[in-house]
Amino acid sequence: MANSSLAPHLRPDLLDPVDVARLGGIEVTTRGVVEGFLSGLHRSPRRGFSVEFAEHRMYQPGDELRYVDWKILGRNDRLYVKQYEEETNLRAMMVLDASRSMAWSGNPSVTLSKLEYAARLAAALSLILLRQRDAAGLVVFDDDVRHVVPPRARTTHWQQLASVLGQLRAGQGTAAAPALRRVMDFLRRRGMVIFISDLLMDRDLAMATLRFLRHRGHQVLVLHVLDPAEMLLSGPAEARFEDPESREAVILRPADWAEAYAETLQQVTRDWNLACRRFGIAYHQVLTNRPFGDALREALVVPRQQ
Amino acid sequence: MIGFLHPWMLAALPAVALPLLLHLLARREPPTVPFPAVRYLRTATAEHQRRFRLQHWLLLLLRMLLILALVLAASGPTMQLAGVPGHAPGALVVVLDNSASSGAMVGGTPQLETLVHAARQALGRATPEDAVWLLPADGRPRRGSPASLATLVDSLAVLPSRLDLGDAVTLANEILADDPRPGEILLLSDLQATALTSAAMRAPLIVGRPTDSPPVNRGVVSVDAGPQPWTREGGRLTVAVAGDSSAPLAVTARLGNAPPRETLIRPGDSVSVPLPSLADGWFVASAELAPDEFRLDDRGETVVHVSPVASVRCDRSDRYLSAACDVLEANHRIVAGNGISLGRVGGGPSIVTPPADAAELGALNRQLQQRGSEWHFGALHLDAVTTDSGGLLGTHRITRRYALETAGSGRTGVLVSAGGKPWAVRSGNIVLLGSRLDPAWTDLPLSAEFMPFMDRLLNRAVRGETALITASAGAPAALPDQATEVRRGDRRWTVEGGDFFTPTSLGAYFLLAGSDTIGALVAAVDPRESRLRRAGDDEVRRVWPGARLVSLDDVSDAAFSSAAQADLRGPLLWLALAVGLGEVLIASTRRKKT
Repeated sequence: MANSSLAPHLRPDLLDPVDVARLGGIEVTTRGVVEGFLSGLHRSPRRGFSVEFAEHRMYQPGDELRYVDWKILGRNDRLYVKQYEEETNLRAMMVLDASRSMAWSGNPSVTLSKLEYAARLAAALSLILLRQRDAAGLVVFDDDVRHVVPPRARTTHWQQLASVLGQLRAGQGTAAAPALRRVMDFLRRRGMVIFISDLLMDRDLAMATLRFLRHRGHQVLVLHVLDPAEMLLSGPAEARFEDPESREAVILRPADWAEAYAETLQQVTRDWNLACRRFGIAYHQVLTNRPFGDALREALVVPRQQ
Repeated sequence: MIGFLHPWMLAALPAVALPLLLHLLARREPPTVPFPAVRYLRTATAEHQRRFRLQHWLLLLLRMLLILALVLAASGPTMQLAGVPGHAPGALVVVLDNSASSGAMVGGTPQLETLVHAARQALGRATPEDAVWLLPADGRPRRGSPASLATLVDSLAVLPSRLDLGDAVTLANEILADDPRPGEILLLSDLQATALTSAAMRAPLIVGRPTDSPPVNRGVVSVDAGPQPWTREGGRLTVAVAGDSSAPLAVTARLGNAPPRETLIRPGDSVSVPLPSLADGWFVASAELAPDEFRLDDRGETVVHVSPVASVRCDRSDRYLSAACDVLEANHRIVAGNGISLGRVGGGPSIVTPPADAAELGALNRQLQQRGSEWHFGALHLDAVTTDSGGLLGTHRITRRYALETAGSGRTGVLVSAGGKPWAVRSGNIVLLGSRLDPAWTDLPLSAEFMPFMDRLLNRAVRGETALITASAGAPAALPDQATEVRRGDRRWTVEGGDFFTPTSLGAYFLLAGSDTIGALVAAVDPRESRLRRAGDDEVRRVWPGARLVSLDDVSDAAFSSAAQADLRGPLLWLALAVGLGEVLIASTRRKKT
């Protein structure tokens, strides 16, 4: 298992993503990350337990003690927690951007590409959801919808998700709206939409769809994946900066434009953040050099407090 | 017009293109960097791109302008700007015409005084950074500080010589050619029409022109004593007079201390005045006019040698020598006697021609050797040559000649040369001719100069006397080989034969060989100096195209004109500084903005 391959004194969720990726395939390493992440929490990240009892399940670290069934403990000396109807009814869809721009890394030896990072993050999220008996689904898109994994709550469902995420290849363009609209086919009731992308797309178009999802009562979480090299413009004295996705290019001297670029990027993220907040959409910036645990914490813990 | 002090620095002008070249090289192959957020870059640059591009080209332009300004400043540009009080370092040659004609009185003032005043005014504008030369009529340029040249100008006196203004301007141009500074020539002259000759025009020429009209002048053009020596019966002095009016005027002729003879003459004519001789010897003969505004040409001189004519024993077997003797005897230029042996070697003074029969040559050479002659006859040459014109003989064709050979250097005693080789030589009192005086040997016997040549040969050459040397005052004249001393009144100059002697005053100088007077040198005013008519402005411009004519009063403004060549180095350096500051300002602003 994952824990057996990890050094006992290390928590994979806090390791450098590149180091984590070196440990094995997405399926193996994600388990380690999730284990570490959950062990670091004093309670379950999710608190959507309903009063209507559904079934028992084995206690897992992080579960709140108030849901422990003390009677079973007294009888069988085993830790079970009570699960309620609401928890099983949560359906989450992850919408993952696999466009060409996501396949980029500013420094491949130091950071994962945005797509690699996002895939691992999606895998970890789906595993956490499934462990909580939530249903997790996946839509992968570039300039079209490439993969669709309907949401299921079975724990074995994760293998299917991990398999899709482990074999992702970057596409070409970016068309988020169709993928987001596709989500609605699977979320008939209130659910959760986790949108993972570098957001190099038409903001108004994407926001219109996200807003619509929010209007339908879904919780919407936007994870803005950024490479550290995108934060600070650098390079040769003069260079031709080419967008791998659109092949659009700009020739300039990075030293002359670094400051202006940083301001623009700051403004762009600020605009996304404001646009999301205005409609109750959670927005988080995720840097690919940050440990997965940090990203998970922001993605799962904070939204429930909103 | 723009000039440059260091024009070779302009070779660095291509460096102006350096920023552009670097720009083009730098932008030729910028490396491609994959970068997904190009849309953000576009957004970031969109606002500033236009201004940025403008600043970029402005910076490029400023950098090129900076290099251009520095290169131009290094090359020392100067520009002609009217009204500029100072002037750039320049070179000025002041040609001051203190030739004989500058001694004329114009409006009660010597012409030279007016020219000197103008020269001082011009020199007053010179700065220590200027290169200044003074070129007076003696043709020797002097370089010095403005102050020293001003002193020199004050000390200049009228030279009795002529100044060819064209030659002076050409020489001034040659002087300026070696100086990198922008140069100009200031010509201060009475602008005699006769002195105007064409010149090589390179540097700007400013001609200071007198405003007053020149005075009416009449002068003695020449004084000729005719064939010499004169006998005690006397001779005739031919006097030529030139002048601006045709009214007859009195001329007084004089020989030594003998009573003068006065006669009337019209300018442009000549008159022959008979003068009596008193005794044997060398005398100064003069012709003098009444004084006028130009005194130097009011008197002319020559030298007359009074002595008995030669006594000649003629070789009657030679047809042409015999004929010459008859003619000269009939004209009282020689007498028959035993004095000079003509044709053969005699016991006394001899004029020897080669024998008609080559078989007799050996005997003749032995005779010459016995007489102590340093020269003898050598091989026969049949190639045609011409005599080199000199005081004794003009140019004549020689078709047969014996080489005249000597045991000495061969550089002394040569009276006439033909084709560069001695043809008539003198050793002691023996004169050797390389050819027989026969049409089969030379065309001389058939020419008009035959009798005067024989006269000079018999009456002067064989005695060791030379032809009268006429020279211009201030101009060097070659002395005869045997001259050892030049004498004028109480003044004596020791000389070496063949040297050049420059007479500084007008009049006669006697030439001596030891204690014997062998000839004379007469320094006279060049006849062209007597014609004081000034050249008109059109005439000056035609001879010297591009010359700028100014009044002598305006010379100070015109000097260093080409009116004030403004030094552009200062403004260019200021421009470079301003451009540099602008570049720094724009570059730093650009960095801040981006």
